[in-house]
Amino acid sequence: MASVGALAFDEYGRPFLILKDQENQKRLSGVEAIKTHIMAARTVASTLRTSLGPKGLDKIMVSPDGDITITNDGATIMKMMDVEHQIAKLMVQLSQSQDDEIGDGTTGVVVLAGALLENAEDLIDKGIHPIRIADGYEMAARVATKHLDTVADIFSVDPNNLEPLIQSAMTTLGSKIINKCHRQMAEIAVNAVMAVADREAKDVNFELIKVEGKVGGELEDTILVKGVVIDKDFSHPQMPKELKDVKIAILTCPFEPPKPKTKHKLDVTSVEDYKKLRKYEQEKFEEMVNMVKDAGAGLAICQWGFDDEANHLLLQKKLPAVRWVGGPEIELIAIATGGRIVPRFEELTSAKLGFAGLVRELTFGTTKDRMLVIEECKNSKAVTIFIRGSNKMIIEEAKRSLHDAMCVVRNLIRDNRIVYGGGAPEISCSLAVVKEADKIKSTEQYAFRAFADSLEAIPLALAENSGLSPIHTLTEVKARQIAENNPNLGIDCLQTGTPDMKVQHVIETLHSKKQQILLATQMVKMILKIDDVRSPADRL
Amino acid sequence: MQPQIILLKEGTESSQGKSQLISNINACQAIADCVRTTLGPRGSDKLIVNNNGNATISNDGATIMKMLDVVHPAARTLVDIAKSQDAEVGDGTTSVVLLAGELLRQVKPYIEEGVHSQVTIKAYRKATNLCIEKINEIAVTIGKTNEAEYRASLEKCAATAMSSKLIHGQKDFFKKMVVDAVLMLDTLLPLDMIGIKKVPGGGLEDTLLVQGVAFKKTFSYAGFEMQPKSYDNPKIALLNIELELKAERDNAEVRVANVAEYQKIVDAEWGILYDKLDKIHQSGAKIVLSKLPIGDVATQYFSDRDMFCAGRVPEEDLKRTIKACGGSVLTTVGDLKDSTMGTCERFEEKQIGSDRFNFFTGCPHAKTCTVVLRGGAEQFMDETERSLHDAIMIVRRAMKNDAIVAGGGAIEMELSKYLRDVSRTIAGKEQLLIGAYAKALEVIPRQLCDNAGFDSTNILNKLRQKHAQGHKWYGVDIMNEDIADNFHECVWEPSLVKINALTAASEAACLILSVDETVKNPKSGGGDMGGMPAGRGRGRPM
Repeated sequence: MASVGALAFDEYGRPFLILKDQENQKRLSGVEAIKTHIMAARTVASTLRTSLGPKGLDKIMVSPDGDITITNDGATIMKMMDVEHQIAKLMVQLSQSQDDEIGDGTTGVVVLAGALLENAEDLIDKGIHPIRIADGYEMAARVATKHLDTVADIFSVDPNNLEPLIQSAMTTLGSKIINKCHRQMAEIAVNAVMAVADREAKDVNFELIKVEGKVGGELEDTILVKGVVIDKDFSHPQMPKELKDVKIAILTCPFEPPKPKTKHKLDVTSVEDYKKLRKYEQEKFEEMVNMVKDAGAGLAICQWGFDDEANHLLLQKKLPAVRWVGGPEIELIAIATGGRIVPRFEELTSAKLGFAGLVRELTFGTTKDRMLVIEECKNSKAVTIFIRGSNKMIIEEAKRSLHDAMCVVRNLIRDNRIVYGGGAPEISCSLAVVKEADKIKSTEQYAFRAFADSLEAIPLALAENSGLSPIHTLTEVKARQIAENNPNLGIDCLQTGTPDMKVQHVIETLHSKKQQILLATQMVKMILKIDDVRSPADRL
Repeated sequence: MQPQIILLKEGTESSQGKSQLISNINACQAIADCVRTTLGPRGSDKLIVNNNGNATISNDGATIMKMLDVVHPAARTLVDIAKSQDAEVGDGTTSVVLLAGELLRQVKPYIEEGVHSQVTIKAYRKATNLCIEKINEIAVTIGKTNEAEYRASLEKCAATAMSSKLIHGQKDFFKKMVVDAVLMLDTLLPLDMIGIKKVPGGGLEDTLLVQGVAFKKTFSYAGFEMQPKSYDNPKIALLNIELELKAERDNAEVRVANVAEYQKIVDAEWGILYDKLDKIHQSGAKIVLSKLPIGDVATQYFSDRDMFCAGRVPEEDLKRTIKACGGSVLTTVGDLKDSTMGTCERFEEKQIGSDRFNFFTGCPHAKTCTVVLRGGAEQFMDETERSLHDAIMIVRRAMKNDAIVAGGGAIEMELSKYLRDVSRTIAGKEQLLIGAYAKALEVIPRQLCDNAGFDSTNILNKLRQKHAQGHKWYGVDIMNEDIADNFHECVWEPSLVKINALTAASEAACLILSVDETVKNPKSGGGDMGGMPAGRGRGRPM
């Protein structure tokens, strides 16, 4: 029977078209389609494979306009690759959603999905229906996640003892470029999250943590500011560089004579009128500055700008001011200092002012760059991580790495169950799945075995990236896991001598691991289910 | 010589006669073939990339048909019936196309042999009526008296609808959710009162059903973070006003004579805004939602007074908030009273995935609910949404119309057997045609087997035997590659779905059969169609 996409012929051998622009469309169907998809997904996965683990390597991405990004964060690499192929796009989304939900493990999830598909291909060659494979994978994923629950440990989040949290943040940072100052970064990440965390609601609002970077200095100079850092300076060079115990007025109205929003026209007909207008404007200025002063403010932070005349006036009145501060920063300052954002000078009262113990201007090296640090605030619920580094790429990578680390800490606050890293949970799940496999009497048994094999892809890649003999190491660890019945044995990537991840303090959250397995399985199922692809001919 | 008569405009294509009919049938079969493999629990999905490069992955017949962009005039009828099935019952879109295709295929040899199409149409209509009678006769009514039992049967219908979709692994999880969602609605069961929101990330099991309204945090101005993010029993003001400092009239221009007036105008403008804000504040509302933007001044004003606001709330969300919390959308603040404001037990902002969501729960008149879908990729969630939509529609149907039949090809086999028996009692050509109809019905179980990789001939023979023995609910058992009593196995579908599918399919088939000429005006669409003119082409005598 003729099918759509190809030319159809009627009984008399005449061709006819059914779809619009049929000749320009491409169609792939059946096993051929599935194989192409698997191929595409595997290619993507193999790109990321070498980035896995503490010894994983970084990738350089050059964007169309020449910007360079160096990273080993799976989600970032995927985003930057700008893939065209539909299935590859799905893989990108996969790592993206892991990033959104967990923030860590974005490489692992793609590698896992790639391995699952690779093994599915063999099964398809054996003649197993793709959907049965997908079903089998799903069942196996359920077994694996259940197994994870049993091997998980409870992790105590104790605000007085941050050491365990720091250890787990260090695991995440281990694979990143900034592991030069490993511990320091981990401490920063933990302290930042703990400062803003709402431990009762088990929630962390990341909008309260600002990450700023500035080229220059060393990574070691990176600091956590319990307050706000803004990339602005005082509006006038003669204003004091440091203010102590200062009250802050946070204004979203300009230091300008008010203007009606309605279209208006002022007819100035005489010199007198002109002078009046001028006087009015000046009066207004003075009035505004006085209002701020009267309220008791020692510093004005404005969302908008003001001209040099106003600037001069402010200096005269000894009211330091900062202009052109962005909306999100204004908000952070308001939260940190406990002040209110004031949209109108008339609304300004002393109760609405914020308070900061120290406001100072930072200068860097020989450059003219200045930044303003607002510290010792009433409410330390807003913090800023200020990163220094020798070049922009390092800073960007450090930002991403810290984000990952903060996500891990957040996840621990949300759900304090953990598993040990280093491929240990994967090996342990793999063993559990194989055990279950033999109990299944239908075709899904094959899928179970394939799932177990795929889980081993993670420890294999870890070992390979660390320069170990992958098969040798894996079999050894596997044998020990069974012999000692210890699910915490993993790949000793750092060659510390012990494969016990509990001793090494390599920690991952249970939630993250479960998500990885579930998301990867979900995606594989979706890819296996497609048997027909239609697209315009110039794509695919 | 006879002068040439030009009847139609130059370039008009026209074709007619038997060959035209056959050609139309072929086109329809080609369409049916492209959704064929999506049927049933082992059906595959299609990935369709449109010209913009956006991919859709779907298993839903109607969605695929819509995406295919069919231009063949006869084949378009099939697209239309898929759409109408989708609109009317929401599920069974693949089967209706498949059935129509198969009805045409079965009748093709008869047309070729010279049976008049009107005879065929008459026979098909008769067969359809017989089928509908039979369905009504054997359908089982689910009792509404026992609450638990009723719920269980609704869940079974939802599970059957979902079994062919991507989410069938989680159907136990989703069936409860779907039934909960539908039961929450009021008696009219309006579909738009079930909101579906998609948040990437998380597993499917993280999907949650909110008994009330949830929507994504809207764009906010500075000051928003300082607003409280949770309330108990707040009053909610729903507005359609722009709370921003702006020109009241766009086309107005003010002439200011002197400087003192200038200040007055400025004050007046502020006055207008502050007046609005004060009124809202005085009304005691704690949450302000507006369809139009809420500016930074207003945001800061509210945060100053411990109120929460969200501007640019999408209209449908606002509507559902009204349904859930009561109150009404106001276009002026002068009328803010307790009666025009809504309320709910609890309002809070929560993080889901990478987005923050506003939740209104514990609503007094909760006749609405929101499903927050989670999943690995956008396409995945799109498909989940379509699947849930199908399941929700099925449950709604089952509630309105409480008769059900067994799925998995069981009802089709039974109808097929019944029609075959009836056909034997008819003298004349109709006997053959009703027989053909009976044979066409078998396509559903046959395709189910084919998609699952079973030996369809073998299974169909087993099924025919069982039905001949009077076991009317025997159908394909996908799990065990065998046949089973599907009523017992809880593969249930509302009988209305089947009736509608049969009617639509046979009507489409009849429509296509009754066409014997196509006249296509020049440039009314791309490509040529319907075969080249047969016999007297181009409307001109040869």
